[in-house]
Amino acid sequence: MPGVTNGVRVKFSSFQSLVNCYKDQSHKKVFGDKIFRTIKASTCFQNQSWMVYNELMLAIVKEIRDIIKWRELLAQMVGREVKARYKQSILGYFWIILNPLAQMLVMSFAFSIILRIPTNATGNIPYSVFLFVALLPWTLFANSLSSACSSLVNSASLITKVYFPRTILVLSTVSAKMIDFALALSVLVIYMIVYQLPVTLNILWVIPIFLIQQIFTMGLSLFFAAANLLYRDIQYLLSLLLVLWMYVTPVIYPADLVPEKYQLVFQLNPMAVIINAYRQTVLGGGMPNLLSISIALAVSLLVLLIGFAYFKSREKIFSDNI
Amino acid sequence: MSETVITFQNVTKKFAFQSQKTFKEFLPALIRGEETSKGFTALDNISFEIKKGESVGIIGPNGSGKSTILKLIAGVMSPTTGKIQVKGQISPLIELGAGMHPELTGRENIYLNGAILGLKRKQIDANLQSIIDFSEIAEFIDQPVKHYSSGMYMRLAFAIAIHVNPEILIVDEILAVGDDAFQKKCFRKMEEFKRNKITIIFVSHSLEQVKMFCDKAIYINHSKLISQGEVDNVCQEYEQTINKK
Repeated sequence: MPGVTNGVRVKFSSFQSLVNCYKDQSHKKVFGDKIFRTIKASTCFQNQSWMVYNELMLAIVKEIRDIIKWRELLAQMVGREVKARYKQSILGYFWIILNPLAQMLVMSFAFSIILRIPTNATGNIPYSVFLFVALLPWTLFANSLSSACSSLVNSASLITKVYFPRTILVLSTVSAKMIDFALALSVLVIYMIVYQLPVTLNILWVIPIFLIQQIFTMGLSLFFAAANLLYRDIQYLLSLLLVLWMYVTPVIYPADLVPEKYQLVFQLNPMAVIINAYRQTVLGGGMPNLLSISIALAVSLLVLLIGFAYFKSREKIFSDNI
Repeated sequence: MSETVITFQNVTKKFAFQSQKTFKEFLPALIRGEETSKGFTALDNISFEIKKGESVGIIGPNGSGKSTILKLIAGVMSPTTGKIQVKGQISPLIELGAGMHPELTGRENIYLNGAILGLKRKQIDANLQSIIDFSEIAEFIDQPVKHYSSGMYMRLAFAIAIHVNPEILIVDEILAVGDDAFQKKCFRKMEEFKRNKITIIFVSHSLEQVKMFCDKAIYINHSKLISQGEVDNVCQEYEQTINKK
């Protein structure tokens, strides 16, 4: 890749001449020309990054407008996802509830009866509820990512034939998973009523936390969908990543079990913060840690920006490469 | 003088293929600095204009670049170099119902495909009966599309596409599947579009159909534009090339 090395070299040399200029103020006259050129080059570079930023913001505004214009398609695509999935199955939509329920029961058995993971200081919460509060949003996250990852590839025939905003394909899969989540959530509500768990007004924090989770999910989804279209290795990599990720996120264990020295890593993993915040507000009845939540929001927004920028930069070659 | 709706200005489209198939081959090649992809030129410096209300046939042998032109017009591909301008709502009829979901019923697919082509729900509601009537598959409309025959698939796809009220209609080979009666019906509908000054881009291997329906033609061979102009002249030139072989 000669282009890249050239670019790096040029930048490096201009940086060095800048350093030299600052070192030798007395040689200013001799190097006058060079100073001028260096400064010009660096301001030019700043302008470029400003332009990139500007272009990205314009692209975002345009994309939002496009999605609003094509909202009927978005609704139809979400409908397609939900309707088509359980056709020709006897239990149909019941699978949406059955799946997480069965998973929760198996895991509860493994981790409360065999492994006996402590549920945390608050004590008398049954492990199954403790697990379910974290497992549901985690399942939403993992399912959204893995189906968004293959969403573009699965719609190859559409991408090569009809024009519409491509982000709709990713957005619709992520939205369809939210419908699943809402249905599965009803089980949790029933569960909490049966166990008569106390709930405070702090439970409303769930709404902003959920929004942060979806921002993070959307950013990663855009990135993985576009990357998987170009290299199918990504989907296998992602399923591996998701397994590992679940273990570094306090889904099956409480966050307080994380050792002090790993707390920083924990804070930078938005999913860890989000899952922990769900537990704090739904089961603990308290406030989430506002600093952690803010960091999670910042990281999520950054991920969304990067994911979107990557998606947009690859969009033009989607139909050539699919 | 009618306005130009589609302009191709020196359009070149190149595709990159990875020359090394596996990672084992790819990595050493990358380190050695060999070229990791080779290009294939699908369209080579092509320029033409299509005016509003014209019916243009695109002819040429297989693999000459016809479909690439359609994809560029439909906006699903972007050119490597050159400029393309397209004005107006496009209804692409490229191959059979791209957006059909096999598990959904015909009716559900009408809404889905209508939305993909940019129709509002209200517009589909208003046109639903007309679409079903045109497709002549009323008794199967609530069956999953996966049980349809390819002819039924195509009828439904065509029926939806013509109800988009396009300004530009792209028709690619799809009429080959329907029976004679349905083909005649489609051509009648396309004649009606023609009278209403709708631009039609028509790709077919049947020169008879092109001659019968189009006013103009573009002949493409080996990624290059060989000739364009009045349909009879262009078709004649194409026939001569075929006969030489």
